[in-house]
Amino acid sequence: MAKNRIKNNHGISSKLSTPIMLSVILVLVGYFIWWLNIPFVQDIYTSAAITLVMVLGFQIFNGNSGILSWSYVGFVGIGAFSSAIFSMTPQMKSMQMPEMYPFLVNIHVPFVVALILGAIVAAIIAAVVAWPMMKISDDAGAITQFALLIVIHVILAQWSKVTNGPRTFTLGGQTLTTIWVAMISGVVVLFIAYFFKESSLGLKLRATRDDRYAACSSGIDMVKTRYLSYIFSAAIGGFAGGLYSHYILSINASAFYMTLLFNLLSMAVIGGKMSVSGAFFGTILLTLARQGLRQIEPVLTNMGVNASGSTEIIVAVLMIVFLVFRANGIMDRYELSPSSLKSLFSRKKKAEKKSA
Amino acid sequence: MSELKTTSQEEREVILSASDLHVGYGSVLALHGVSLEIKKGELVSICGINGSGKTTIMRTLAGVLKPKSGKITFKGTDITGKKPEQVHKLGVALVPQGREIFPSLTVAENLRIGAFGCYKPAQYQKDLETMFELFPILKERYNQGGGLLSGGEQQMLAIARGLMSNPDLLMLDEPSLGLSPNRVDQIFELIEELKSRGMTILLVEQNAERAASISDRVYLLSNGRVEFSGKAEDMASAIDVASLYMGGKEEVK
Repeated sequence: MAKNRIKNNHGISSKLSTPIMLSVILVLVGYFIWWLNIPFVQDIYTSAAITLVMVLGFQIFNGNSGILSWSYVGFVGIGAFSSAIFSMTPQMKSMQMPEMYPFLVNIHVPFVVALILGAIVAAIIAAVVAWPMMKISDDAGAITQFALLIVIHVILAQWSKVTNGPRTFTLGGQTLTTIWVAMISGVVVLFIAYFFKESSLGLKLRATRDDRYAACSSGIDMVKTRYLSYIFSAAIGGFAGGLYSHYILSINASAFYMTLLFNLLSMAVIGGKMSVSGAFFGTILLTLARQGLRQIEPVLTNMGVNASGSTEIIVAVLMIVFLVFRANGIMDRYELSPSSLKSLFSRKKKAEKKSA
Repeated sequence: MSELKTTSQEEREVILSASDLHVGYGSVLALHGVSLEIKKGELVSICGINGSGKTTIMRTLAGVLKPKSGKITFKGTDITGKKPEQVHKLGVALVPQGREIFPSLTVAENLRIGAFGCYKPAQYQKDLETMFELFPILKERYNQGGGLLSGGEQQMLAIARGLMSNPDLLMLDEPSLGLSPNRVDQIFELIEELKSRGMTILLVEQNAERAASISDRVYLLSNGRVEFSGKAEDMASAIDVASLYMGGKEEVK
């Protein structure tokens, strides 16, 4: 009996069930939306899937380490710009960005390679700057993260020879991040985020989140664990940034700043940042809520009520409500799996029986 | 094992020795030149009131705190100033004060963390079986969150996590703290069981009498200095020191 239980927990089927279930939801919804063939709905789905990749990359470090990684959106920006530079044709670059360094203008690689290179650039920059920051925890850790975000933001906004400076960076051409690319990326990163969490690195990181002294005396090198995870998270962020820039087609540095951070944070917090399923459902829920509210805003304005910006307020209030009443989000630390569904079901049945 | 018991303590190999440890937090010294020694298979207790430096010793030996001066040797290797993860790898497992388990991780994951750095699948399965035998409750709660366990169960999980690395020296920092009397009995029984299995244990306890009753030797600590060290039986003759610092004359008698 004991042996069975040990094996079950380490078995491949139970390990895979969570990312498989989430992926099935993502793919079925995506397929249905593609079949509906309404461009407006397809756009919402594509941007939601890209956002999902961003939130998952955010969850990898933020959720498992407990450190609020403000700088994450900076790495999304780095990936967005660098993958765009890699994938654009030299003619396009010299036309749109006459100031750009000549060696950057001449680079041209296929879209998928550019996405991966974007992730690698973000990872390398994270690897260069992150080591000393990983020694700092709690408030001081969050503040250093914030300072790094400002540094990255100012560089992205001012380095004219790379990012076109404060002007808009236009990719031109057609949308390369189609609904299918976004969907497949979402599925792949769902598996990556889940396997990271269950990997020994992910487990070590979660241990340092719970109690860093106990983690150290259990033989965990906290700084190294955080460092490697942070680089990994930055790489996924860079990848997500590449998806974003090839979808939206014109970017500037302010797209990767507070608004995006707040957006990702609200999804992670409301869904439950300690679990991959939480990131997934948080993204879906917040996307639906935002889109719904955005439809209501003009209706209210037409009725004479000035409601512009109310979406942000409602999302912020929602986040406060969650932090007060359910600080660990909808999913807490639990994952969607056959066994968790079963226990939820049996709990409900018990409650029904009691009330009856 | 029986051989171990028959050999006199003097002949046993010294597994850990610390000499003249000065340790402080910032500019405040918590230990003023503490020396101690643990032999293989021994159960040694460190007793003393709050603030006497018991936990500081444990943290220093485990590498969490760095001594300002002094030397720590473990199994012949100088481990002074080594990082906790390096010390852990050499075979020192610290079960920190206050049941510091990982509450958001499952019992299974908590145990897996204990085995990090020395993970061998076959050994791991064997160790798990041993833990389930020592702590049947952990088998029942294997896939539950550590934070959902009761206080006593969490303490057992913390000890089991320490044991999962097959340490040569197990350091328990106030394992009975804040537990119900029943649970305290259970924990002390467990410590005796581990000792009978040949484990070398360094135990920190406020309950000096109780700890002394199961220990081979006792160090009595006060204000960062060793006030008494020696066999538990001899502590009775040092009763003045004990009653002075333990503040419980009737209890010690």
